[in-house]
Amino acid sequence: MKKHIPGEPTLLSEYMPGAGGIKAVNHIYKNVRPDGLTVGNVGGGLVSNAVLGEAGVLYDFNKLIYLGSPHSHYHWVFMTRRESALGSLEALRGASGVRIGAQSVGHSVYIVGRLFAYLMGLKEPKFVVGYSGPEVDLALARGEVDARINNADTLLKRNPEWLAKGVIDLHAIMEVPKGAKHPDFARLSEVEEFARSEKERKVLTMLRAFRQVGSPYILPPGTPKEQVNILQQAIAKTFNDPGFRSEYKKLTGDDATPLLPDEMDRSIKELPREREIVELFKKIAGAGPLPPR
Amino acid sequence: MEISLFDAAAQGLMNLMQFKVLFALLVGVSIGTFTAVAPQGIGMPLVYAMLLPVVIKWEPLTGIALLIGASSVSAICAAYLPVLFGIPGGGGSQATVLDGYPMGKRGEARRALGASFMAGGMGCLIGTLTLVLAIPAARPLIYLMGSPELFVVMLWGLSMVAVLSGRRPVKGLIAAAFGLLLATVGQQAQSGVMRFVFDQPYLLDGISISIIALALFGIPSALDLALTRLGVEQQPAPLKGSLFDGVKDSLREWWLVVRCSFVGVWVGIVPGLGSQVVDWLAYGHAAQTCKGARESFGKGDVRGVIAPESANDAKDGGDLITTLLLGFPQGVVTALFIVALLAWGFLPGPEMVKKNPELIYSIVWIQGIAGIIGTLVGFVLSGQLAKLAELRYTFMVPILFLFILMGAFSVNRDPVDLFVVVSFGILGYFMRRFGYPRPAMILGLVLGDLMEKYLYRSMMAYGFSWLLRPAVVVLLVLAMASFVLTLRGRLKGGEGGGVSLGRRDGGS
Repeated sequence: MKKHIPGEPTLLSEYMPGAGGIKAVNHIYKNVRPDGLTVGNVGGGLVSNAVLGEAGVLYDFNKLIYLGSPHSHYHWVFMTRRESALGSLEALRGASGVRIGAQSVGHSVYIVGRLFAYLMGLKEPKFVVGYSGPEVDLALARGEVDARINNADTLLKRNPEWLAKGVIDLHAIMEVPKGAKHPDFARLSEVEEFARSEKERKVLTMLRAFRQVGSPYILPPGTPKEQVNILQQAIAKTFNDPGFRSEYKKLTGDDATPLLPDEMDRSIKELPREREIVELFKKIAGAGPLPPR
Repeated sequence: MEISLFDAAAQGLMNLMQFKVLFALLVGVSIGTFTAVAPQGIGMPLVYAMLLPVVIKWEPLTGIALLIGASSVSAICAAYLPVLFGIPGGGGSQATVLDGYPMGKRGEARRALGASFMAGGMGCLIGTLTLVLAIPAARPLIYLMGSPELFVVMLWGLSMVAVLSGRRPVKGLIAAAFGLLLATVGQQAQSGVMRFVFDQPYLLDGISISIIALALFGIPSALDLALTRLGVEQQPAPLKGSLFDGVKDSLREWWLVVRCSFVGVWVGIVPGLGSQVVDWLAYGHAAQTCKGARESFGKGDVRGVIAPESANDAKDGGDLITTLLLGFPQGVVTALFIVALLAWGFLPGPEMVKKNPELIYSIVWIQGIAGIIGTLVGFVLSGQLAKLAELRYTFMVPILFLFILMGAFSVNRDPVDLFVVVSFGILGYFMRRFGYPRPAMILGLVLGDLMEKYLYRSMMAYGFSWLLRPAVVVLLVLAMASFVLTLRGRLKGGEGGGVSLGRRDGGS
């Protein structure tokens, strides 16, 4: 990015852990001088934490200035262990208390897993949490849980033999953004096919928007327009730089799927805000039983 | 074409015989040594994060030599802070303070360091050897332990409170319960409920164990020097023991080293345990099984140094088993190592075992060679480092406080941590003064989070039927037997026995 900013200034990075990124956004929003010299780069929880009213959020995500995000395409697949004999949708719906593994309440894998279970109509699913990502795989392999959702690319990278040897059954996929097909899982049903009402579709739209913002670069409110333009152009040029794309692929193993500021602003503006939708989302994403449909 | 494991091992060694690879290994060892000797906060994750963008542009083997060289040595050289100054080392070397510091105060710092480096080197080699043996059959080892079995192991670990409480079981229980309570601070992962957060973002992730351990042991040690107005080895005790005595101690206690190394390898292999428990589990194992430990542990018994150090260094081998053979990172450092491997085009896991066995063996060789070099470097440095213990308190006290504050600040780079470290330091001072064993509190803190996680997972996945799983029954019987035997020995020992970890004269 340095070479795309006039004067080629040196860029320094400072790591600020805490509260899943909330601390860093609070810092950018409240403490940083809006002069364009400090840019934040935080996880996708930035928007969802604010919309859902999580503890510790001291910022208004509508007032932040977005510069873009390097990754905006995600594909989540819902899988069950073949030995659990839940290979078809009928078997899944017929079984009571299917155990679904995830990291923690509030984690994207947990929330997406709950949404799949809700839309696919599972009967009293149990969510077993407290694992790291690879630990969920282990739990699935040894039968501690029956099902999980995971990022499609992570599945292909981490457990290719599961597909080759038929260790798991895949049931459905969630595409972010909607319609972005995954080359290896294009035949799977998109989770929206299971939605029964406009309300459920809006909840899905909300989740897609939360994921699509990826890990955005942000500026504090009040940053002068000139500085904002310089940085937005620099980010756009960086994302189009072939050197950036190859380096991104090298470091993350994924292809960059950038989201530029205009698209990001649009995605945030189109986010469903109705109280009814937010409340339903909170129930689905929370720790209690799934709400009735 | 697939090659035999022997050919792969030979090829892996041959591939290292290049000047640039060996040079990178030496540079890595130097970086690792500096990291261990510098203030506590410069941890391996930071070093890896700084090195990664540079090394991924190199040839893979050269970069791997640098990274593995640095990380394997940093654990071996981590004992000098606990031994010389009573400040817990980084994760994995905290329990060393319990016997290392009393040895230092008795004028036996050189012996303690010698034992620590030798035990660390031996542990590293045992861990590496286990890695070699695990290559053909790693998967069953990792699949063996489910959440119910891990919960019972943690429960077993918690029974070590009986050992760490010495002659004050009630105070030990109070300290352990306080540790368990502290472990509940923050957002509960299973329910999302905020516990003891008081709307403070600082408390959302709980309080760092590293900061609390640093405070509980480090600040009272520094205060001790200030109040007695003596350097560590200026206590009224003659200097005795040499590095070589420590080496002989470790060789004589080879069976303890082997046992604790396997504890370390096991902790490394099991996903989710990590370096925060390895030294405490090994120390507890030694305190429960070594002859005469009731009388001598916590007062400067060299076996209390050998046990955690050998386990901590062997853990790296276990970490690599899971990282290389299954592609599961065991912490920040191994996660970053996987990032580097991916950037070089290798996919850690079964595919790498099949496609690149010679590279896996090269990593094994690098780990082993770096362990040997690290041990030698430790010996060379320790003669000089041990002289620090002879410095006047007027020099040492400000430096120690600086180390403690820098160490605390570097954990999260949060100024609030400075306030927290001082507060817990004051608490540690009074705990020691009134005989509440601080190790029992640390144990409660370390195991509390893990126990809650494993219990929750067991109940959600199996209901109460997890109690009937065969491995759970066997482990429960073993844990009960070990607890009863420990308790019986303690009751028989009466007033004369017991580890005095809460008293002024030990475990500082």
